[in-house]
Amino acid sequence: MDITNLPIRKINTLFSKKELKPSELYSQIFDNAANSEASLHAHLTLFEDENIKKAKESDSRFDSGTAESLLDGIPIAIKDNINIKGYKTTCSSKMLSNYTSPYDATVIKKLKESQTLFTGKTNLDEFAMGSSTENSAFGLTRNPWNTDFVPGGSSGGSAASVGARSSIAALGSDTGGSIRQPASFCGLVGFKPTYGTVSRYGLIAFASSLDQIGPITKTVDDSRIIFSAISGDDPRDATSIVNNQVDIPSGKSAKIGVIKELMEDGISDEAKNEVNKVTEILKSNGYEVKEISIPIIELAISIYYLIAPAECSANLARFDGVRYGLRVDGNTSYEMMENTRAEGFGKEVKRRILLGTYALSAGYYDEYYGKALQARKEMIDEFTKAFDEVDYLISPTTPTQAFKAGEKTSNPLEMYMSDLCTIPANLAGLPAISIPTGITNENLPLGVQVMSRALSDHSLLNFSEIIEKEIQFNQQPKGWV
Amino acid sequence: MSLQPTIGIETHIELNTNTKMFCRCGVVDTEDPNVSLCPTCLGLPGALPVPNKKAIESITLLALSTGCEITRKGMFHRKNYFYPDLPKNYQISQFDLPVGLNGELEIVIEESTDNIQIERVHMEEDTGKSTHSGSGRIESATSTALDFNRSGVPLVEIVTKPVITSSKQAVAYIEELRQLAIDLNISEGRLEKGNLRFDANISVAPEGSSELGTKVEIKNMNSLRSLERAIDYEIERQTKAVEDGVEIIQETRHWDENKELTSTMRSKEGSADYRYFSDPDLPNMYLSEDFINQVKSTMPQLPKKQREELVDTGLSLKQANILSKSDVWIKSLYFKVHKQTKDSEASFNWITGELQGQMRKSNIEKLPDWFSYEYLSEIIELIKNSKISFTSAKVILSELLNTDSTPNEVAEQKNLFQENDTDKISEMIVQILEENQDVVERIKTGEDKLVGFLVGLVMKQSNGSVNPGMAKELLLKKIED
Repeated sequence: MDITNLPIRKINTLFSKKELKPSELYSQIFDNAANSEASLHAHLTLFEDENIKKAKESDSRFDSGTAESLLDGIPIAIKDNINIKGYKTTCSSKMLSNYTSPYDATVIKKLKESQTLFTGKTNLDEFAMGSSTENSAFGLTRNPWNTDFVPGGSSGGSAASVGARSSIAALGSDTGGSIRQPASFCGLVGFKPTYGTVSRYGLIAFASSLDQIGPITKTVDDSRIIFSAISGDDPRDATSIVNNQVDIPSGKSAKIGVIKELMEDGISDEAKNEVNKVTEILKSNGYEVKEISIPIIELAISIYYLIAPAECSANLARFDGVRYGLRVDGNTSYEMMENTRAEGFGKEVKRRILLGTYALSAGYYDEYYGKALQARKEMIDEFTKAFDEVDYLISPTTPTQAFKAGEKTSNPLEMYMSDLCTIPANLAGLPAISIPTGITNENLPLGVQVMSRALSDHSLLNFSEIIEKEIQFNQQPKGWV
Repeated sequence: MSLQPTIGIETHIELNTNTKMFCRCGVVDTEDPNVSLCPTCLGLPGALPVPNKKAIESITLLALSTGCEITRKGMFHRKNYFYPDLPKNYQISQFDLPVGLNGELEIVIEESTDNIQIERVHMEEDTGKSTHSGSGRIESATSTALDFNRSGVPLVEIVTKPVITSSKQAVAYIEELRQLAIDLNISEGRLEKGNLRFDANISVAPEGSSELGTKVEIKNMNSLRSLERAIDYEIERQTKAVEDGVEIIQETRHWDENKELTSTMRSKEGSADYRYFSDPDLPNMYLSEDFINQVKSTMPQLPKKQREELVDTGLSLKQANILSKSDVWIKSLYFKVHKQTKDSEASFNWITGELQGQMRKSNIEKLPDWFSYEYLSEIIELIKNSKISFTSAKVILSELLNTDSTPNEVAEQKNLFQENDTDKISEMIVQILEENQDVVERIKTGEDKLVGFLVGLVMKQSNGSVNPGMAKELLLKKIED
């Protein structure tokens, strides 16, 4: 039996029955990491030695029957833009290559309270800006299904790690699809919760109004367990909200909409086929499925590439060499700041800072950023209308399967297009999930995305679980365990 | 051509909250650098701001007491600029939706009042403190020491409309604003500690012109004296430029305290584009009717109302203004003494003149516990009833500040009661006239002034116990006889 292939609830049962020890699972996870890291480079830092003691503590809790949490002793990988006290948080940037966080992110605090173990910090596109995990100052991450291909991004390290079983699950962050797109590329479940349900305190901000932490897991239930552990109102995050869940039907009375604009040109036949496969199954199970038009989705990428860079241009201003991180000297303070930023940031980060600075400049604000805010409001309105008609919206997660490493690095616009289907949920603050549904001709996985109204995360997970059961994906990349 | 100056003033007042604006760090008054810090006020990656309710109350209180309209749906904005002591390289401030708009403040100059129109009252977080070595400015500093204790301390910024026309008005305005902040108990109001900081925008234009001249901003005025001097200097400089036909450049100028002149800091071309945008880390700020009413209910008597009450006791506006800008105990002492004596002039003079003068001279900061306001009333009554001389009264007051006693006791002890018995005084005078026949002769030939000399002799002989008015009257009468 491959224990690292099991869902969390099953592992917990084995722990409780004393048929498996957390420390045994822990060492299996690190064996897997030893087997895959050289080829995949999912982790930037592995915590093995430091955490053996904690795994043993978990052993004794199960021995004495005092373990209370489902996550006790479960090794989880953490995207390296989430702070863990005493460890490096680099954001895959030269700027923070030597930066050690003096505090825990709220999600880390909560996972520690649940006695979760950490495998280490995973690779990402620098400051979470990218869709392939190729924009990392420390080298790219590869797709565990085929190492010629990218794992997606920006949470590509997290997805590759769960895919290669060098962690049981992982945390990622999702600003425009950074959890769901790599989950889809790696045959995993990726869940972006409703904006505000998971605290952003300690997540190094890319675009504050869009960023949301969420899980990348093998099953929907694993995502549910992690979401329950990390969500909740946080007095340290003014944008966090009380997780007052609304119940919507997930059984046969649920109404399903297929987003018209995400089944048109620009979406590969393979991706469309996955959606059709799911809707056919749902229909045959008695669900009502209809087409829903949300015209403004066609503007999603334009809106996103004004709002996200604008916010990032201010969020990343703090990296100046004055108080922490990289410092490149100069003759004056300003020269030092300029030299530091010139050398510390990679190309894509600089591109977005410039875009954002321009969009906010005097004389351009109204035309660009201001218009984008208006359009974002309209998008929220259009989604609200859509959810008056249906309970869930289905679309492809990504327009295509994973692409080859290097294929899109010279064409940023093409790279940006790979987030077409995922961006709307961030702009509207909605919960959205990617569920693995099929394998393409090139033997790469593909997923389908489901969205629902704000604060219906649990219903969305219940509904996704129904699809998961019907589809019976049950496949994993070979050669890593 | 006669030129008219127009001045607008921006004032920052440091609030006296226990904690900073967006974190729980204490607001500290210490020379030890960097002792009150956390991830948020140090701008560490991933840290987030959470607003301080008490600070919002203070700002709302100031806005209400200057008659501003309160913005019910307010917002926090990011003001973007790079400076080493600004940890995030943006300052959280307010832009188009400040807490208060369109207020006014009554100021007093000598015996007349003016209303200064206020454009806006808004929240801002303070920066850290830079100490440049090698020179006072960052551009030429060889090194810069940074203290972030002040970083994130809440400020309220008050911006006047361009309605001030002289340095005298400007000073009266700052004095009034400072007193208001103290009376509202929202700030210590200590200029020497930088609790109040002000910049002035100055322009000159031909009298009667409907358009304002090119405005110049003056920074670095650290006291009321430098405010007055800098404004006067700048008006003179601009007036001369216009008269000489030299173009005035829109720029920021730096007041040099030592050289007593302003010099160019940066011109408009070099001025910052702050790229204001709504802070995505902070939700909109709704000030409810209940909140505003609750803040209103804490409003104390305002300086303007205080002055009206003081004028009603019989004081001039100038006197009332002096008292309204004095410490609370002085104001209340005045009201108590006045209530007993019904003599506004004497009460005012004794309190603001002799009492405060003696206290300053003897370095007494507060009245001794035994010192009752009734002592002042007694002293005033004793003078009025000619029981003691003014000189004796001063001696008595001085004694009361150092010894637990009463005015009557001191007068008794020191034998300071005036001799009002005409017969006794006449006896003394006859003797003195006999001993000074030559002086009497000179007085008779017209040297009136010498009467004073004789009065002095009477006072000396009586150890000051004779009422000098009475002595003079009797002397003249006897000489005429």
